[in-house]
Amino acid sequence: MKKNKGMILAFSLPLTFALIIMYLYPVARTVLMSFFKIESVTASLSSWSFFGFGNYAKIYGSPTFQDSLKNMGVIWLIGGIITLTLALLFAVILTSGVRFKKFFRAAIYLPNVISAVALATMWVQYVYSNDYGMLNKLLEFFGLDGVKWLSSDNKFWAMLFAYIFGAVGYYMLIFISGIERIPGDLYEAATIDGANKVQQFFKITLPLLKGIIKTNITFYSVHTTAFFLWTKMFSPVGTEASTIVPVVYLYDTVFGSTGNTARDAGAGAAVGVTLTMIIVLVYFVMNKVLKDDDLEF
Amino acid sequence: MKKKFISLLVTAAMAATLLAGCGGKTEEPAAPAETETPAEEETPAEPEAPAEAETPAEEEAPADGAANYDGVTLTMWSMWSNTEPQGKVLQEAADAFSAQTGATVNIEWKGRDLKTIIVTALEANENVDIFEEDYQRIASTYSEFCLDVTDMAEAAGYSDFGFQCFVDQQKEWCGAFNSIAEQPQVGGIFYNKDIFEAAGITTLPTTWDEFLTACQAMVDAGFEPMALDDAYCDFALAYHLSRHVGQEALGELSLNGGWGENEQIIKGAQELIDFVNAGYLESGAPGAFPESQNKIGLTEKVAMIVCANYVCAEVNNNTGSNINWGLMNYPAVEGGADSSNAYAGANSLAISKNCANPQAAFDFIMFLTTGEFDQKMADGASQIPADSRNTAPAIMDGTVETLLATNAPLKWNMGLTDNSDLGPQFKDVAIKLFEGGFKTGEEFAAAMDALY
Amino acid sequence: MARSKKERKMRDPWNWSKELRLLPGYLIVIIWIGFTATFLCWILGASLSTAKEIFSGKVFAFESGIHWENYASAWQAQNVAKFFGNSLLYAVTACIGTLLISAPGAYVLSRFEFFANKSLKSSLIIAMSVPGVMIIMPIFALTTRLGIKGRILLILLYILMHVPSTTTYLLNFFATLSKTYEEAAAIDGCPPGKTFWVIMLPLVQPAIITVTIFNFLGVWNEFFMALIFASSADMTPVGVGLLQIVNAMKYTGDYGGLFAAVVIVFLPTFLLYIFLSEKIIAGVTGGGIKG
Repeated sequence: MKKNKGMILAFSLPLTFALIIMYLYPVARTVLMSFFKIESVTASLSSWSFFGFGNYAKIYGSPTFQDSLKNMGVIWLIGGIITLTLALLFAVILTSGVRFKKFFRAAIYLPNVISAVALATMWVQYVYSNDYGMLNKLLEFFGLDGVKWLSSDNKFWAMLFAYIFGAVGYYMLIFISGIERIPGDLYEAATIDGANKVQQFFKITLPLLKGIIKTNITFYSVHTTAFFLWTKMFSPVGTEASTIVPVVYLYDTVFGSTGNTARDAGAGAAVGVTLTMIIVLVYFVMNKVLKDDDLEF
Repeated sequence: MKKKFISLLVTAAMAATLLAGCGGKTEEPAAPAETETPAEEETPAEPEAPAEAETPAEEEAPADGAANYDGVTLTMWSMWSNTEPQGKVLQEAADAFSAQTGATVNIEWKGRDLKTIIVTALEANENVDIFEEDYQRIASTYSEFCLDVTDMAEAAGYSDFGFQCFVDQQKEWCGAFNSIAEQPQVGGIFYNKDIFEAAGITTLPTTWDEFLTACQAMVDAGFEPMALDDAYCDFALAYHLSRHVGQEALGELSLNGGWGENEQIIKGAQELIDFVNAGYLESGAPGAFPESQNKIGLTEKVAMIVCANYVCAEVNNNTGSNINWGLMNYPAVEGGADSSNAYAGANSLAISKNCANPQAAFDFIMFLTTGEFDQKMADGASQIPADSRNTAPAIMDGTVETLLATNAPLKWNMGLTDNSDLGPQFKDVAIKLFEGGFKTGEEFAAAMDALY
Repeated sequence: MARSKKERKMRDPWNWSKELRLLPGYLIVIIWIGFTATFLCWILGASLSTAKEIFSGKVFAFESGIHWENYASAWQAQNVAKFFGNSLLYAVTACIGTLLISAPGAYVLSRFEFFANKSLKSSLIIAMSVPGVMIIMPIFALTTRLGIKGRILLILLYILMHVPSTTTYLLNFFATLSKTYEEAAAIDGCPPGKTFWVIMLPLVQPAIITVTIFNFLGVWNEFFMALIFASSADMTPVGVGLLQIVNAMKYTGDYGGLFAAVVIVFLPTFLLYIFLSEKIIAGVTGGGIKG
């Protein structure tokens, strides 16, 4: 045990230092900033004036911020269920002994490798395009009328779907790396016992993936709060309420928006703190719901 | 290219030693403006200077003289990248300026993200002498870090060739003249002259009624009058409403609400709703940017767009077409506010207060924004020249005149986005309006009021 | 080991009843990949078209011929080769550095109860969830005031930026390893530190590879930090270079060139991905202990 102590110290110190160097100062500063009235995100302390919960009152009273939270909630819940289900489905299929597994895996992951700018341009100009778009061509083929996929009512869903399409591969890779660790003899034994693939999935794969599922939910939540680029690409000139998310709101608040130069770094910090609290909350609730049961294999 | 550059350097160095020999001052200018009488007396520079260093004949332009900035280094943060046409002209100008004056100009290409990092850089005393940004942001956000160039500009006779409206506007915002327009922009209705001609429209409409008549004439001649993309719906809405109530009142409304109580707003919205219902919008409008505006070039059947001047080059480039562009000021409405002004803005150059050689920085800015290099910038990037003595490229026809006629430029979105928090909401309502989502002006006003 | 057995199985002759059972799976995956392929083809097609063709829905028609010159102009627009070199340097060093900090940290966090264990784990989550600007801007201000600049700073920041997610990711993989490995090693007299590097780390191979792919691509495509901290042209990585090309091409309406630039950046990245995921897995797991 003594030997272990030395190792614990030696192994956790670099990590601790990394956290302190990179994060302690900015995080503490952000929390502090959220209680002050500040214009510039890097303004020196002397120009801060105490504002209490004013920043929080401001952002929670803002219909635009409320919309951004609502949009983020939809991306998190609905997008999350679809993304993670698809990712798990593909991971199970690819590890079930199909041929060309490596090729399939690479192909599904592929959208993560292409620059998001090109992907978004492709979605907007090709898939969703009103006159020449792939979707409307498909509808036309079936004799249906074209849909305005990017009208103000549909835009959010169009964006969410495009995002999901790109994101699935990422979580699939994580699931695959989890499934590959499950010893093959467990499945062989189950097959001998007469369990079919579906039963094996629910009795072996899913329980043993609990930890990985937690990791994936954590990552999906973090990525949802950081959702930014797709909104920018789907509303290129100025932010629109239908696609706004908190980080875009934060950017507009901290750096000023098109046609308005007002900046409010304090409110931006309050947005940042809110996002962090949401993640921490998700993390703790998830840990309570999906308890570790010390599985080892 | 490199060789030429070196030979230029050598020439400059020779000129420098010559000057030094004559007892010309070579030490770095420490104090700004007043003490620095640039160069008119000292004119022996570059007798054998090659083509590139030939600046046009504007005698007043200080860059033209033989200011000697040997050993001076200027660091400039650019909002472009060195592969863009603007960046290329910038680099060329910097090289030529070095050759002429001996100063070294280092350009750091920050791209559009410059606006997120410049304040931090200035606060932290990063070594930035000159930077490029939107003039409104310079005046309202960075002014405490920027040098007032009033005196230097006066010495250079800036008022003879610069666009005065930007100077006045800056002074109104921050009480100082701290950025020089580099790439001016102007808004209005950009139209395809050929379609106007084909539809028999000989005089440009100046009132909303005349404008509607013109639209009907275009429809009758088989054209679609107006392109509009989602990205610019709020701009188009605000332009129209500001013609009714003026920019200031629109700003008030955006901050405090009360749209439903304003007759003019309801009337203006109703006009737009009627405009949409009359079928004057292009059939796919509002499209997903740049879908609708591209149709101007792709089909050549769509006549107009409400935007700023860059839309012309955008459409021509994106669609490989060569539209015969013209600009008309947004029409006046009955009983409305002053309609002589247009949206105008500019990417401008500012000098940091930390700059050790403000005169050198200013001279470089002048070198870039007047004469030869300004013309190159305008031609290379299809923009409005910053030096009104230069000629606008054909595609920018009418822009200089509109700018010169504008005394009080309108802001982007004419006050509608004064409420930065509700800005994205307004945009959605605007898109709804042009999608035909409101039956009456009252309905529109109610939707706006519901946001507060 | 289990996986290599599986792989050998895959080279077995077709077993029709087995393939038939897998058919639904094949179908789903192939439909999905069909879409991906269509999209990729469109991007490739766009990179060989003119802007007009892209905007008028004629990407696959090539009416005005195939525009190879898009590639030439994209390649010449910037010093692309140098960007690749820089990105490779940043990505490789950052991946290694991140693993050196994260793997041991995740190991002790997941397998040993000690003072500050819980708070460290929560700190990781907090560090991951604070919006990037709130972290990067103060650090930018700080380093500028202190006059710190250059490659080393950028690499260090890349490492530190990826530490929280990498550690969080690895936690679960270490947690489910059986204790018997350590016990056996201890009986053999192997010190715990060495046990980690020699026995435990190789056991989480798939996880290490996956997270390294994420980190690698994360650094490779990153542009905001690079823009701020790599001020001179010879420090510029691909992400910034691509962004600049994309902006320039957009401005000049050269959308064909834009997509060509995207493909130029994408291809080596994808080859690297294949290399990372296939060669390295094969090379390292060849010496592994158990699947």
